Amino acid sequence: MHIHELNPWRTLIAVAVFVVILAIGFLTMPKPLFEYQKSMDESIEALLDGEDYFYPWELVDVIDGNTDSIVLFDIRDNFVFGQGHIPGAENLSANTLTDPDNLERLKALRDMGVTIVLYGENELQANGPWMFFRQVGFNNIKLLLGGYEYYKANEADLAATINDDAYFSGFPRFNYAEMAAPKDGSEINADQDNKPVQVRRREKTSVAAGGC
Amino acid sequence: MNRNYILLTVLMLVLAVGTLFLTTDDEPKQIAPEELLQEIIQPTRYVTTDQVAKMIIQGDPSLLMVDVRPAAEYDEYALPGSLNIPLEDLLNDGNLGYFGVPGIKVVFISNDDIRADQTWVLTKRLGIDGTYVMKGGLNKWMQTIIEPAQPNADAPSVDHELYAFRKGAQIYFTGAEAATPDGDNVEVQVRRREKTNVAAGGC
Repeated sequence: MHIHELNPWRTLIAVAVFVVILAIGFLTMPKPLFEYQKSMDESIEALLDGEDYFYPWELVDVIDGNTDSIVLFDIRDNFVFGQGHIPGAENLSANTLTDPDNLERLKALRDMGVTIVLYGENELQANGPWMFFRQVGFNNIKLLLGGYEYYKANEADLAATINDDAYFSGFPRFNYAEMAAPKDGSEINADQDNKPVQVRRREKTSVAAGGC
Repeated sequence: MNRNYILLTVLMLVLAVGTLFLTTDDEPKQIAPEELLQEIIQPTRYVTTDQVAKMIIQGDPSLLMVDVRPAAEYDEYALPGSLNIPLEDLLNDGNLGYFGVPGIKVVFISNDDIRADQTWVLTKRLGIDGTYVMKGGLNKWMQTIIEPAQPNADAPSVDHELYAFRKGAQIYFTGAEAATPDGDNVEVQVRRREKTNVAAGGC
């Protein structure tokens, strides 16, 4: 005779304990600091749309203090920030982005509906952190085009930069093909050029390893 | 049959049915966001145009240049040997299989470095290692490799060495002719020493 058949309550007690332990486990599971809110496809989509940028001429209002729904964050390190920054900007060095205090503040600003503008020395420097925050659900974060360099160069008359396009990235500044054409007049891309190399693809490591 | 066994059977069945309602995850494997941020704030992903030029010239087999510009721009001009994967096609057609091959350095190239950097962040999110961004992109390539600017005469010697390398690279990539100094070569008049005496023999 099996031991459980001696005392019918044993099974129930065992099951109850089991369930309680599971519940405790789920409730006390550490919550990750961030979770991706955008899938890979959505992220690519957002990048191709080219939204969520902040234009240098929009800074005028922020610097004059005409708006309190926009906050500037300088992600350069503290030393460089001390040497000069956009008036009204707060320093939030890239390596302190995940400090609990800073994160609290970012979340609070998000809940208040305040737009956060990130900038670095140039657009490239702030691009990574900006993309990161967009992907983990901070939809109020924008990226300053041109970065601090562009601001510094056009500090005197920011409003006029509305007609400028030098801060746009992603465009060829030269006619590549013409510039790089062989000087002896022979056809560019004649033979070896532009033939994609044959590359070894990464092999799949395991076949559909599913499971719990 | 014992009541307890029935109870357990029912429990197991309920759990089994529960698994049907688990959300299926179509997303590919990704690294934790915190990890991604740590990777992002490190500037180790950037390579210079000079480094890329050197690798191309030396025929480095571990280099794979991936051009992330639209196909039309790629057709017009691209670095020799580069592969075109526009950003919108990153996840399509098994393109991800090109990345993360052990021993292969993937360098992303765009007009400047923003789009390449964006591609880098996306691939990093997928946990792919061995990817780099060519800083300055093709615009910088034109300025440094195709039409390098000569440093001032009093610039540090490293600048001149770099310039010498870039001039060599320019010749490699464009077939430009090596610069020759202006003016015809002056013919050197060699004066032979006149013999002072005739066959002054020995002993």
